[in-house]
Formats: sequence, C-alpha cells, structure tokens
Amino acid sequence: MLNYSNVIENDKSYPGLQMREIKPVMKLIIRGKKRQFLSAVGKSLNLLLPNEANTSSRSDQLTALWLSPDEWMIFSNEILKSDDNNYDVEKLLNKNICKTNLGAVTDVTDQFVLINLKGDKIFDLFETGSPFNFNDFKSKKGLVTQTILAKIDIIVHNQDINDVNLFVRRSFSDHLFSWMNDSASRL
Amino acid sequence: MFLINCPFCGEREQSEFKAGGEAHIVRPKQPTELSDDQWAEYLFMRKNIKGIQFERWNHIHGCRKWFNMVRDTSNDEIKAVYKMGEKPPVK
Repeated sequence: MLNYSNVIENDKSYPGLQMREIKPVMKLIIRGKKRQFLSAVGKSLNLLLPNEANTSSRSDQLTALWLSPDEWMIFSNEILKSDDNNYDVEKLLNKNICKTNLGAVTDVTDQFVLINLKGDKIFDLFETGSPFNFNDFKSKKGLVTQTILAKIDIIVHNQDINDVNLFVRRSFSDHLFSWMNDSASRL
Repeated sequence: MFLINCPFCGEREQSEFKAGGEAHIVRPKQPTELSDDQWAEYLFMRKNIKGIQFERWNHIHGCRKWFNMVRDTSNDEIKAVYKMGEKPPVK
C-alpha cells in the first residue's frame, strides 16, 4: 500500500446520512472483449462478470461492477492489510488474462477513493448535483452507474438499500467530499 | 438540455456526453496523392446544415464509448442512435 496522506480525515454524520472513507480496499480495472476472457475471469475468481449494462455481481470476497461493454471494476468486499501492496487476485488475473493476451488488468487501488454512504438521504444529496435520474436506481440493489456529481466523474454502486459505495478519483476526492458535506448540511 | 439514449448505458442527460463532429467521413485511401486543397477539404470542411445531421458522440462521463446519432439541428430532436460501424437506420 502506498503511503498517501489521508484524503478524508473524519467520518461525517448528518440526519439521515453518514459518510466515511473505506480503506484500504483493493480495486482493479479489467478490460477485455473475447468470450474466453469472460470465462477465464470467471474461472480465476469464481465470479461471473456482469454482462448486462449498469449491473454488478458479488462473491464472498469480491464485487465486480459493469463500467462499459468491455470494462469492469473489481474490488474487495473486506478491507485489507495496510502494509501490503501485493494482491493475490491481481497476480492470478495477470497470469490468466494478461499473459494469455486475453485482456488487461490495471491496479487502481490508489487511484480511486471509496466513500461509503449510509442513510435515507443519500439520493437527496446526489440529486442536488447530478444530472442522473436516481428514481429507479435507488430501489434496486446492485445497480451501478457512472455519472457526474458536482461536475466530478463518479461511479455509484447501490450496494444495498440506503447503502451506497461511491468511487471518485483521488485528486477530486477532497473537493467532492467537502462539497458533499456542504450540500448535506443544507438538506 | 436534452436526453440522449446511449446505446450501451441507456437514457442519460446531455451533459454526460461530448459531441464529436460529423459522422461517416471516409479517410482517403491514398492521402499522398491528394492535393493540398483536397486534403484540407477532407480534414477541415464540415457540413453545417439546418435539419437532419449525422453526428458522432462520446458518452465521456459514462461508459466512454463512441456512437453515432441522427439529430435534427433545428429543434434538437434525436431521430436515431446507433453503434459505430452500423449503418444509419434512417436516411
């Protein structure tokens, strides 16, 4: 694990909304188009990649998010040891995907910040700064979308009802978190 | 402000997209044999019509995929959306 300064220092809590950063969590982006790629990933991780747009799949250890027709994000459900930068999953995928020329694996653990939001005001907060229509999204567990929040690219994963994972690029995370705090204080 | 139906992600707001100019421009097969005028014609000259226009768009804040769109430039009505490499569904 690289030693970045902590972007989000304190957990924040508002009526109907709690926000905190979850770390360290392994995050990988995998890309590939071939059918063998999908089956190789499925066999390696014991996890089927979601084929349908804007959906996710989950195993005991990992969650896979659909990002585009040939791109997925895989992240670990549990937090990992903070002193280690090597992941067995990445090594396994490198061996079964990259070395066989089926696709690409990129470690984005330190690129993305994972903010977990809980409470019934999550989507009220999102609606103050996002053009995305969350009406159907919020009631379906497991849906994923990439959209804009306060002009910043984000990935939203509806983990459970009133429990949302938000991925944002590290350089934007400080600003986004302060914007979310400001917006949440006015809900 | 209008809604665009991304062929991969579904209906999204226009601010998630980026326009990529006119679609279906074919690159000359032998660029070295063209005169400067012909090359400039290919490189820079674009239609700017009022009416039905074929355009390329990118869902840049979503799936980051390119696709084609048929749009009426006079009223922003989207006639059709189709993937790269597909034939335009309307003439």
